[in-house]
Amino acid sequence: MLHLLKIDLKKLMNYRTFWVVCGLYFITLAFVTASGMEFLKLLARMIEGFGASININRIPLYHFPDVWLNLIWFCGCFKVVLAIMVVISVTNEFSYRTLRQNIIDGLSRSQFLWSKILTNVLLSLMSVAMIFVIGLVTGLIYSPSAVYEYILTDTEFFIAYFLEIFFFLSFALMISILIQRSGLTIILLLLSQMIEWIITANIDDQLPWIEHFFPMKSIWYLIEFPYMRYGFQEIKDYIDIKLFLIAAGWTAVFNYVSYLKLKKSDI
Amino acid sequence: METVLSISNLTKDFGRLRAVNNLNLEVKAGQVFGMLGPNGSGKTTTLGMLMGVINPTAGEYRWFGETPTHHLRKKIGAVLEHPIFYPYLSGQKNLELNSMIKECSAANIPKVLELVELTERKDDKYKTYSLGMKQRLAIASALLNDPTVLILDEPTNGLDPMGIAEIREIIKKIASSGKTIILASHLLDEVQKVCTHFAVLKKGTMVYSGPVDDVGKGSETVEVNADVENLNEVLLAFTGTSSINRDNGLYQVTLRDGFHSKDLNKFLVEREIVATHLITRKKSLEKQFLEILAEAR
Repeated sequence: MLHLLKIDLKKLMNYRTFWVVCGLYFITLAFVTASGMEFLKLLARMIEGFGASININRIPLYHFPDVWLNLIWFCGCFKVVLAIMVVISVTNEFSYRTLRQNIIDGLSRSQFLWSKILTNVLLSLMSVAMIFVIGLVTGLIYSPSAVYEYILTDTEFFIAYFLEIFFFLSFALMISILIQRSGLTIILLLLSQMIEWIITANIDDQLPWIEHFFPMKSIWYLIEFPYMRYGFQEIKDYIDIKLFLIAAGWTAVFNYVSYLKLKKSDI
Repeated sequence: METVLSISNLTKDFGRLRAVNNLNLEVKAGQVFGMLGPNGSGKTTTLGMLMGVINPTAGEYRWFGETPTHHLRKKIGAVLEHPIFYPYLSGQKNLELNSMIKECSAANIPKVLELVELTERKDDKYKTYSLGMKQRLAIASALLNDPTVLILDEPTNGLDPMGIAEIREIIKKIASSGKTIILASHLLDEVQKVCTHFAVLKKGTMVYSGPVDDVGKGSETVEVNADVENLNEVLLAFTGTSSINRDNGLYQVTLRDGFHSKDLNKFLVEREIVATHLITRKKSLEKQFLEILAEAR
């Protein structure tokens, strides 16, 4: 298994585009998450009365345990960048025809798929690790009290975050294998969330319960927009097992569809 | 001699088009097997099926007597149609990646690069290579695992004459070391020089299969010229003449069975005619190939 991951990493490590895109992803992630307080100060300057009625220093943006969910939700929006990298990597194999040569040289189709899936797992793990480190550091800087209980509360959301990234990368892998052209795949990837919104908005009246079963929506509800709690509204600060299973199920479906398509087609 | 490859009733349909039709073939160890046929006759499709990239519609094939798996493919080196590599990787890195896929040691790499004479350019990106270098890298990559079988699909495609000669030498060298080679080519001259057996495909069906040596058998053709005026009549008078063809100032005499060029030479000498040009031509593969294709219509 590790051997397959090494094969895929050898293809990527020497590819400049990979370093540029992943570099952008991680650097942007780091900068943006670290400048949360600056953002609030910006809001205070822009919106009248924002700084007066709420003392921005008292908004527990980076305080444990809130910091985890705040950062995780926000960073979830950047997963598109990683997904585009996966799309480029997989559609390259089709356009250069190197997938064909890999099979001729002795890689089986399922081994090829596993090498791509393992890269997705690695990227997801690295994202989790990155957020964990940033959250820990900013939390220690801004938190009034570094009590272990508080630090470790809500860290179960990292499992949901890992699933969120891996889910989206599996989705990107699947449509790359189905469409095989990078431009069209990226467009579909970017629009997938919107397409789902449109579909669910239309059938929501007739079948309200089905909304949670759509793939993108299940992730959307899994990790909810957490900032409303600062407006004194309640949010979901636990992981809903039902949504988790739905998202995990969709991830398995995406990878299985990738496998079937590879198995069946002439390369 | 053990059978390296056996194909039985292999068929491939692309929608309504039957690209390969009930192919039956056997290749034994140590043979250099030529697959010939016009464009679109199913050679590359067949090789694709043998290498696992195209799924057969029906029929089966066996490598070394076993049902094919991807592990077996690691022991076979193949170049199908065009060389395919990662353009942003260097030649060396491409071969390293290949050795990881084939699960063989990277220590073979300098050796194969030496064989195809690409050692100076090994650290340059693949996209900077000329076509000849790309073809040579492909052959190097096929030889990486020291395979027992080598499949070359039109290896001299697009090469200049020097490149063609180089590839021919490489193939001859490999063939003499006892490896089995399956060669699909349009250069019938090359095939006749290098191959031991050949098969002809037309529109997906195999229309002929046999040893290359058999091609040369049968009637001899002698090209002759001499400094006499009535050479035509003289040649017609020879009992061994079956037919005469005048081509480029030379007389091509097709001899009857049992007559050889030395008989014609003796005949001319008896008449005190000294030949200025006397060459025995074996029947060319090209001629037989075109005959086979014409018959199969």
